Amino acid sequence: MSKKKDSFADEGLAGAIFTTETQVLAHTNVQHDGDDPLNDILSSPVGFIEQERYTCAIGALQSVVAIPKAVPILHSGPGCGTMIQGFFERSTGYAGGSTSPCTNFSETEVVFGGTERLRKIIEGTYKVLNTDLQVVLTGCTADIVGDDTAQVVNDFKRDGRPIVQVDTAGFKHNNLVAHSDVVNAIIDQYVHKFAANVTPRSDKRLVNLFASIPYQDPFWKGNLREYKRLLEALGLQVNVLFGPESGGVSEWQTIPRANFNILVSPWYGLPIVQNLAEKYGQPFVCFGHLPIGAGETGRFLETVAAFARENNAGTNRCDIKALIAKEEQAYYEEIDNLATFLLEFRYGLPNHVHILHDGGYVVGLARFLLHEVGIVPKEQFVVDNTPAEFQDAIRADLAAASDKRVIPLYFTADAGAAQHAIRALKHRGRGLIIGSGWDKELACEKNYDFLSASAPSPYRLVLTTNYVGYSGGLRVIEDIYSAVLATYA
Amino acid sequence: MSKQPKQIAIYGKGGIGKSTTTSNISAALSDMGYRVMQFGCDPKADSTNTLRDGASIPTILDLLREKKKVDAHEAIFTGYNNIYCVEAGGPAPGVGCAGRGIITAVQLLKQQRVFEELDLDYVIYDVLGDVVCGGFAVPIREGIAQHVFTVTSADFMAIYAANNLFKGIQKYSNAGGALLGGVIANSMVHPYQSEIVDDFVRRTHTQVMQYVPRSITVTQSELGGKTTIEASPQSTQAAIYRQLARRIDEHHQSAVPHPLEPSELRDWAASWADTLVAIESGEVREAVGAGI
Repeated sequence: MSKKKDSFADEGLAGAIFTTETQVLAHTNVQHDGDDPLNDILSSPVGFIEQERYTCAIGALQSVVAIPKAVPILHSGPGCGTMIQGFFERSTGYAGGSTSPCTNFSETEVVFGGTERLRKIIEGTYKVLNTDLQVVLTGCTADIVGDDTAQVVNDFKRDGRPIVQVDTAGFKHNNLVAHSDVVNAIIDQYVHKFAANVTPRSDKRLVNLFASIPYQDPFWKGNLREYKRLLEALGLQVNVLFGPESGGVSEWQTIPRANFNILVSPWYGLPIVQNLAEKYGQPFVCFGHLPIGAGETGRFLETVAAFARENNAGTNRCDIKALIAKEEQAYYEEIDNLATFLLEFRYGLPNHVHILHDGGYVVGLARFLLHEVGIVPKEQFVVDNTPAEFQDAIRADLAAASDKRVIPLYFTADAGAAQHAIRALKHRGRGLIIGSGWDKELACEKNYDFLSASAPSPYRLVLTTNYVGYSGGLRVIEDIYSAVLATYA
Repeated sequence: MSKQPKQIAIYGKGGIGKSTTTSNISAALSDMGYRVMQFGCDPKADSTNTLRDGASIPTILDLLREKKKVDAHEAIFTGYNNIYCVEAGGPAPGVGCAGRGIITAVQLLKQQRVFEELDLDYVIYDVLGDVVCGGFAVPIREGIAQHVFTVTSADFMAIYAANNLFKGIQKYSNAGGALLGGVIANSMVHPYQSEIVDDFVRRTHTQVMQYVPRSITVTQSELGGKTTIEASPQSTQAAIYRQLARRIDEHHQSAVPHPLEPSELRDWAASWADTLVAIESGEVREAVGAGI
């Protein structure tokens, strides 16, 4: 390969200069643009992935861990749970992490089938743990040898146990997809039992919210809390279903009663609201990116408020303008307070950013940083293995962020390839990288500021922080500028 | 919502004539006006050949080998009388996991709701009868087939395979799996052969759906790449297959079989061996097939 030192006239790449030659072997899915050298870097001559920012399907056990007093039971090899625990860290919940019951599927189970072992593990779980919901998740080996896990689980269901089974073989898909499988399995096999006694959509104010994927989104707990606070201010009652803000399994039982569903996601989670639309006739409203900061949060609230009115949710008395004005007053007071700081440090702050994250965060953060912080989004990388059919909508969502500036967007399942691409780019001014802890070294190498905001997160502890909403936007500002200030002696 | 098709699975030891029988049942049911799909669940993928003038079709696993996402319709072909033909296929012999292949193929059609979309009356799974692993038991699990029929001859190995299948059905029966409709006695030539099968079904608490004699008409039709129903519709053999199809159509109540334990099966076979020697040597006994 020859060295490339061209500069690009394309507005999105204005000022970008290729400085190094890099050959990357990775699975990528990029839009073909013959003149874009980044595509050469992101293209895949061989097809292995250096860095996935998600796990295999069984990682969706974390969605179970996130339901208060629910337990995942793994019908898998012992390594599966350990891998998931290692990827997410601090993710134990009531009985997750290293305490998840597991059949430790090994040679004996492969040869003779593992269903009897699974039966014993489930029985043992009942003896040891007092849980409200049990979700059996299969690993690759159990699904390859054809264990009829559903049959074992059905026996316990017949005994009246709140138990659910879902195939999460890693060869099928990743945890972002399997999250929907897990939620739909709970709805189909458990929640639906309670639907017989209730009229679907009977509670006009109640809505189900499907937003962050627990633990895959490090800020899921805080984000759900903030969504709930804002939507309640609209006059709605909200099932967030996961985390301390939810009512646990009893809240799940009320899912069919909800008037409609809210999905905040560019693609993952869509099968859940589709399932509920088919099962209970609940319509859904989608918001394709995370609402971060005043502009997008206001738009999110207006979108939901309009949908609630269409569906007679009884929220008409809520003055949406007054609600947004009140939230914005507190928000812009803080932005005002920043003025002197921004002036004083104007030459020492990042002026451009590369984000490596899932589609919802990339678009949400890019819109926020462009419009409300003044950090210009340069090349952006969606690293969540977005299915091809959703990529155009995500591109359009980002493109709609500005009619003055084109923000180049790339889809790749390999964040390592994205790192190589960023390594090869050069922009004027101080730069910022927002990604996972694995991007810290790249930021050091490029002398960029760095914010850890996606999984895995080895260098940052997140407990209840939120990035969505008004307070979330302010928190992003705090985090970026705190990182910048930490570099001053 | 569209109607639910009646789904039946036909099992039998390799080479016993299960694809021949299945294809003739499919052909006869379609002649009766039903919309039928025949789903070959055997890695050698030749279940539906006689419905398509002897021609093979690409299998689901062939398509999956070529690309990641397969539209189920790409694997569905029409044959005689617009019978929908599907072959699961499998990996090369000695490679991969054929059972997993069957699971994948069945799930693909189920997930894409093809049965409902095609408004089928019948889905007939043609499965090899040595239920060697979980994959080959998929059609008898909950939510797939409702009735299982097994094709057997009077040969011990065929009966052994049928007995194994009964064990599989018994295992899944508590969990809403398919139940046994009965036995199709194939390749009947001598009276003692039907007596052997009769004795076996009596002991295992099931029934014979049809006695199908060995017939040159079947062989001729197959060599011409056709079912007997298509090639010789006026033949006695075609009438037998039509009667079998009618019985299957009228069959609604299946049951849990009582498979024999290995020692029982051995003793039973040994007793028949003695009886057969007696028949050969002209020994006079009170009742043939009285058993042990």
